[in-house]
Parts: sequence; structure tokens; C-alpha cells
Amino acid sequence: MLIGIDVGGTTTDAVLVENGDVVRSAYVPTNHDNLLSCLLLALDQITNDVPLQEIERVVLSTTLITNMIAEGKTDPVGLMLIPGPGTNPKEYHLGQNAQILDGAIDYRGREIQPLNESQINHSIQELKKKGFRKVAVVGKFGQRNHAHELKIAQMVNNALPEAQIELGHKVSGQLNFPRRAATTILTAATKEKYKEFANQIYAALKQRKITAPVYILKADGGTLPMDRSEAAPVETIFSGPAASIMGVMALMPTSQTSVVVDIGGTTTDLALILSGLPLLSSKGARVNGQLTHIRAFAVKSVPIGGDSAIDVCDASLTLGPHRNGPALCMGGSGPTPTDALRVLGLSDIGNAAAALKAMTDVAEKLGCTPEEAARKVVHGVVDKIVSEIGEMFRDWEQEPAYRVWEIMKKERLLAQNVVGVGGAAPSLVPLVAERLGAKAVIPKYAPVANAIGAAVARPTLTLNLRIDTERGEYTVAEDGLTAKLDGKNMNLEQAEQMARRLIIERANRLGIGEYAAEAEITYSEIFNMVRGWSTVGKLIDIRAEIPAGILPAWGRG
Amino acid sequence: MNMVSCAGKTGLVFFPAFDWAISPTHPEREERLLYTRDQIFEEGLMDLPEIVEYKPRLATSKDIARVHFCVPNVESLVTEAHLIAAGSTLTLSDALENGDIRNGFALVRPPGHHSMMVAHGNRGFCNVNNMAIMAEYLRSKYGHKKIAIVDTDVHHGDGTQDIFWHDPDVLYISFHQDGRTLYPGSGFPAEMGGPKALGKTLNIPLPPGTTDEGIHYVLDNFILPVLKDFQPELVLNSAGQDNHYTDPLANMRFSAQGYALLNEKLAPDICVLEGGYAIESALPYTNTGIIQAMAGLDYSHVKEPDYVPGKFLQSMEIKREIEATVKQLESIWASRDEMVQDALASTGQFYRRRKRIFYDTDMINETQEETVRMCDKCQGYMTIATTAQRGYGILNSAFCISLPRNACSSCREDVKEEFEDHKEDRKFNYIYLQDKQKDTYHSYDTRTRNQKDF
Repeated sequence: MLIGIDVGGTTTDAVLVENGDVVRSAYVPTNHDNLLSCLLLALDQITNDVPLQEIERVVLSTTLITNMIAEGKTDPVGLMLIPGPGTNPKEYHLGQNAQILDGAIDYRGREIQPLNESQINHSIQELKKKGFRKVAVVGKFGQRNHAHELKIAQMVNNALPEAQIELGHKVSGQLNFPRRAATTILTAATKEKYKEFANQIYAALKQRKITAPVYILKADGGTLPMDRSEAAPVETIFSGPAASIMGVMALMPTSQTSVVVDIGGTTTDLALILSGLPLLSSKGARVNGQLTHIRAFAVKSVPIGGDSAIDVCDASLTLGPHRNGPALCMGGSGPTPTDALRVLGLSDIGNAAAALKAMTDVAEKLGCTPEEAARKVVHGVVDKIVSEIGEMFRDWEQEPAYRVWEIMKKERLLAQNVVGVGGAAPSLVPLVAERLGAKAVIPKYAPVANAIGAAVARPTLTLNLRIDTERGEYTVAEDGLTAKLDGKNMNLEQAEQMARRLIIERANRLGIGEYAAEAEITYSEIFNMVRGWSTVGKLIDIRAEIPAGILPAWGRG
Repeated sequence: MNMVSCAGKTGLVFFPAFDWAISPTHPEREERLLYTRDQIFEEGLMDLPEIVEYKPRLATSKDIARVHFCVPNVESLVTEAHLIAAGSTLTLSDALENGDIRNGFALVRPPGHHSMMVAHGNRGFCNVNNMAIMAEYLRSKYGHKKIAIVDTDVHHGDGTQDIFWHDPDVLYISFHQDGRTLYPGSGFPAEMGGPKALGKTLNIPLPPGTTDEGIHYVLDNFILPVLKDFQPELVLNSAGQDNHYTDPLANMRFSAQGYALLNEKLAPDICVLEGGYAIESALPYTNTGIIQAMAGLDYSHVKEPDYVPGKFLQSMEIKREIEATVKQLESIWASRDEMVQDALASTGQFYRRRKRIFYDTDMINETQEETVRMCDKCQGYMTIATTAQRGYGILNSAFCISLPRNACSSCREDVKEEFEDHKEDRKFNYIYLQDKQKDTYHSYDTRTRNQKDF
């Protein structure tokens, strides 16, 4: 038996699943001031009569980090930035607390300017004066050569032994310095509070004699043992949409292309599952306006939903983006799409007479019958959603590519299914699907798809390996690993084998070794370095990953 | 965050063609923009609100035929990489014309500025001329007339010069290392354009060793004032980066700061990358600086690892030489209208010239005979009889006819006749008609008697 609990913005949903079925489910209102209490309440409701030894795994998806950041409750972080030549670091808007340091590493990982120790000591004293206990150290190309970041960390540690220090290269081995800096700051800012939360979870589970391992859901739809996630808590941000998408993935046949439509009160969230794989955001998650290296599903939030306000201006309709309270048929004050659906008989939610009154008001301004007005409203909502879906597919097709074959393959995918989750989904999704020429699907367990997603998601893992045969070394930045190569020769096949071996080792260290067999090489590039008309070495970059997927224990699909 | 309105963005197409090379060890190989990729991605330039990245589309055969007579046909002369590089410039042109961007940079390879109007193969690493394809697209699709192309590559852009040689509405200005010391060996002040376009081709040869100071002297004292006189609708930059002091194929002393400042002053509507082969020591820094300058960002932090201000001092000798060249060009520019009048008075009904062209990459020798009708109602149609030889064998021969966009009815009639007459002329393998007025392009194979129109 698997347990999934999704602490969402308004409700906390929990399920107990077994053999592809939901055995128990619970909904509890979310208490933002005490996430732990609602989480445990939901847990207790689904486990009260279950033999505890049969629970194999508990997965949590929480808004903890999201809330912490939104409410400004993260810890202050002192940033030590080594920007080297290039962009003026001010253009990155990384906050007031940045100490800009001399020193530079280039794209090959070569030192092009040494550190300035007296300047670093001065910066450390500045941080000390301001009382920082968390320090992020990030250098441009620090992932290609960790020496500067390590040296500074050592100096900070000597001067401020109690400080918590986060290093950019450990956060991501990928290119993009400002994203790496933003992610490192977030890691430093959330780690301590996250650890407190995790400790409370461990204690509460122990108290309940639940011995099953506890996992956390990440933004990329993967799970990680909770204790291992303490190193990178920001990866758990936006796990709510990830939970829903993983739920849909679990409830739909494999390898199909689906649009996930989550229609709420004021917004509709759209996500794509392309040939069975959820689409990741090409630029990483945006947190507080800053792009990060956090891998997250591409979710588009459209400002339209069941409670969107309907206005008529010069005989034409506008829908949303604001909300006028609930629908008139639900005791609200103004006309909404929910009223229109009620009038057309597309839903049976709320008071029919009130809905008719809502549409009569709209109809008077438009000069038509209430039914016509309702049809126009629904048409408007469907139009908006359909055009945004079209744009998502276009954006995906227009993602830049840097190789001839990538441009030439000209892949075009069309939605096979439109899968609805959320309140207004059953009435609107069939209309959206019809317009797209796709099949409308409202899964049986749609209301708890998010909790199911958490329950059945398997671990994910990404490893970036870079090899420079001319310099005779390889690096796995996130592991802090730089080592000499045996010999100078290496081809792509050998490099990929090496990446597979390294990801298995990392998976074992993270306690998810049993999934390492699922690892795939998702990116690999090899360049001959030619100097003076002869080949002097190779530059190889490999990404190996265990992609988002569903546990075999779910037993479906 | 400082949000910039959409109309203020700089469009960027980055197409490094990581899977395309002329040959494995050729300067134009996969690795060329690798370190540039690393630098601009690590800088996070694409994430900045001032910059928007576009995926390139493919140029069509028609886009290419609008500029080139490809012998035997477009398909056999270009690879997909060429279509994408050329297409990148069209993607940016559309974004510019739609008002989505303020300016754009096609940071793409393979380059194009050595490709001439007739193209039998690759010369100077170029198969088709990305810059010219873009300029002609902008004119035919968006109705632009007056365009200035400033070629800032260290090599003379002899291809672009050839394509617009007779066109008085395209101002082609190139500064480059003196042709006596560098490929392709041309680009002297006396190369000024065809009889009706004299002074609309301006060549500024610079002595080897010219520094930031020298190039900015030319820019400030000649190029910018000339652009002000010419009043072009668009300024396009053939942005080669091989004037850099570390470039292995040339001998100039230009820096990343120099390049950034140049683009800030020139403020081109669209830049297209041409050459630049110091792939580690220059390109990551020059490209970063150019992108920042175009996007209005602070580029003062861009610096090559070994660069210090004042690294290169220009000798008095070089200074005097550059000043003398600028003086010579100023007088050419000042007397341009007069020169055209004189030329028209002394040229008969037709202007003729013979050219020999060597394709260094593909080892082809081409002979051309060019004829332009000195029409008093329009620019006059042009024909080119071309024969290409590789080794001891004849590769191809073709008769090419070009009808200008502003053609008069008499030129149009003559061109029709020329095309039909030459279909029976077995001296040539192929007959081409480039009808810019109708934007239609025709090719005829004299052996198979097949005609293709597009």
C-alpha cells in the first residue's frame, strides 16, 4: 500500500492506493499556519484502520517552501559572487547582500584571474557585521572548476564556523550563472526551516509507528527520500502541479499525448504530457521573478475559471481575470461561467433560478436571450483555453535548437486527450476536447489525482558529466567531483557508460538505487578540439537521468 | 525587475550548427561557437528581459534565388545548415518588421559574405550570402528601398559587393585588412560600384595592426557621417569578429570592447555573424559584448583574460595611413553624383565587364562576362555568362538574366526575349531568369529541356 498526501493551497488531499485502486481518500482544509497538523489529520484519516506494516511508502507534496518564499519567511543569505568578465552582476538583480569578488574561471574551467584573499576577508567581515549565518558562494563557471568556491568556503568556515555555506557548483552543473546563484541563495535560505519540518514529520510518523520510508515530491514529478531532500529543499517547490500531472500520468494510458486542464475558480492550469512524458519547463522554474535551475514541469496558468467575473462593455463580453466572489448560483454576487454552465444544463451545481438570473442580466446588456448569453460565455471560456493550449504547443515547437538535425526533425504533436481535473472540468473539458479534435477524459479519481500522483511517482535524478580530455579530467559538479581521466582517449560510448556508472553510484548514495536501471542518457554532445589543424582533445557533456515515471507497484497502464 | 517593453527587445538567433563542418579540422567546424555558447549561456543573457531568443526557420529556394544564380541549382549548392543560417536572418527580419524586436543578431554559421551573385560552390567558407538574402527579403516582402550594409569583418566582403554592385539604393561599406595582405585580395577604394551606382560601394582597406583607435576613427569620421548623408531605412551589419587581436587568420588588433562600442555607435537594425576564428580567446567575449551593446546593457565588464586598456598603441605611421585613406574616400563620397553622370556619358548602350573568380574552398575557376543595359528609364537589366572550371574539366556553364525591381517595360520585354533565345543556346547548360519585379525565378536546363519556376 502506498500513501500520497498533497498539501495544496486550499485543501490537503490524501489517498491510500493499492493495485491501481484508491482504497481510502481524505480531504482536509489546509491550515497555512500549521501545515504539519493538516497533513497528519489527513494521514490519520486514511490509516486509522489499516495494518501499518502494509504501508510501503509515504509521499508528501507540500507547499512549505512555496509559502515560505511567498511570505518572506526564508532566512537572510549573504551572497559571495565571483562574476568574472561578462555581464555587470547588477543586471542579475540578485539582491542587496551581494559581495562582488575578484577572481575568474573561464568556460574550460581554467583560472583566468586569481582570488584576492584580503578582499575575501574583508567581505567575510562585512557579512559578519551584518549578522549573516547563511552564506552562498557562487562563481561563474564554478561548475567547471570548483577551486575558487571551495577556497572561499574554507575561509568563511574559518572565520564563521557556525555559518551554513552553500556552493553554486553543488546546486547545478549546468550552464547559467544567474540561475545557479538564485538557486543557491534559495537553498541556503530554506534549508534550516525545512530540516525542522522534516524532523517533525519523522517524529510524528515514529509516534504513529509508521516505519515505511517517507519521501517528498519534487517539482519535476519525482520523489526523493525526505532525509536526502534536506540537501536541496527548493526542489520541492511547485510540487502541487507536479502531483496533479503525475496523477494524470498514472491514470492515463502510457505513451499518449495529453493536455492536462485543471480548471479552478479563477485560474486554469495547463500542462502537456507529450508521448507519455510530462513537458519540463525549458528555462527551469521561476521563483519570485528569478529563473532557477530547479527542474519543474511547464505549467501555464491562464487567468480564467469558474468564478471569473463576466463584464459586458459596448455589447462585447470580457471574462476575468478578476473574480467577483463565488457564482451567483452558489450564493455569490455577480454572473460567472459557472452560472452559464448551469443555465445550459452542462452542470448541475448550484441554484438554477439564480443562474438564470445571472445570465438574464448579461443577456440584457448583450441584447440576446439568456441561453444565447450563456452560450457566448461558455464559448468565450473554451476559446481562451483552446488558444492557450495552441500557444503551449507552438512554444514547445519553437524552443530553440542548436543542431541541424534538431531543426530538421520538425516534430509536431497533436493532443490525443484532454484530461480534466478540478471543479469545472467535467462540463468544460468535453467542449475544449471537441475543438481540439481530441478525446475528453475525466478520470474516475480526478478529484484526488494530485494525491495519487504523489503516491505513485517514482524517484527522479539528474547527473551532469563533463569530460575534457585535453585537460585530462572530468567533473560531476553536483557531487563536487573532479578527477583525472585514465588516459586521454575517450569516445562518446565510453563517456555514456561512465555517466551510467556514476548515476548508479549516486542513486545508491541517495537510497534510490533500485531505480537506477531506469536511467537514460538524455543529452550527449562531443566536440573535437582542433588546434592548428590537428585534434588535441575532446570535450564531452553527458546528461543522465531517471525521468519522471510511475512506480510499477501502481500496477496500471 | 526592470521590465522592457516588447518593442525594445533585442532578438537573438543562436545557431551554432554543432553538427556541421566544412571538414573536421577546418576553421568552419562544429567547435567554432562552442565556447561562445558556454559563455553566453553561462552569462544567462537569454534570460534577461531585454533579450528574446528565436528558433530559426529554413530559408526557401526562392529566398536564395532572389539573390543568387546557383549553378546547377539551389539544392545542390546548399546543405540544410546553410538554409537554417540564411533562414535565421529571415526570422529576425520578420520579428523586426512586426515590431516584436528593436534590433536583432543572427549569431549563426556558416557565414556568407564571400558568396557572389553567381555561385558554383564554396568560396571563403561561404556558399550563399546570408546578408544579401536578408536584404533582398526585406526589400521584396516589406517594400524597403534604401539599405546600408556595413561589413565589419576583417576580410573584404567581395560577395556582398558583387551582389549589390549595380544597385544605387544599397550602400555597401566595408572596412577590412588591406587586400594586399589578406584574402580575398580585393576591397580597394577604387572599387566603387557600377556606372549607375558609383560611390555606393565604399571600401576602406586598413593596414595590418590597426587597433580600436584606428577602426573607431574610420567609424566616427567616415562611416557614421556617410550613413547620415545616405539616410537608409535600415542599417545591417555583416558582423565578422576576425579583426580581433587574437584571430589566427588575420593581423588586426581590435578588442571585445572595441566591437561592443562599434555596435553601440552603429546601432544596426540587424547584425549577422560572418567570420571570426579565435574561437576561445575572442568569440566568447566579442559575442557577449555585441549582444550587450545591441540590447543596451552595460558591456564595460566584458574583457578578454589578457586584455588591459592601452594594450595596443597605434603607430603614427598606421594613423597617417588610415587618415589618408579616409580622406580619399571622403572625396569619392562627395563626388558620387558627378561620377555617375560622367560614367553614363561615356558608357554606351551596354556596360560590359569580364571577371575571373576563384573559389578557394572548392578549387573552382570561374569566368564571367557581365552586361548591363544602361537604360534611362530604370536600373537596366543584367546578364551574366558564366563558365566554371575545376581542374581540367568544365564544371558548368550558365547564362543568367536579372531583371531589377524597378524595371521598365522595355527592359522587361528584352529580358523575356533573352531568356527564350538562350534556351536554344547549347553553349550553356543552364539558363536562369531572376525576375525581381514579379518576385519569380526560373531556371532552364538546355539538355533535358526542363524548366523550373518558383
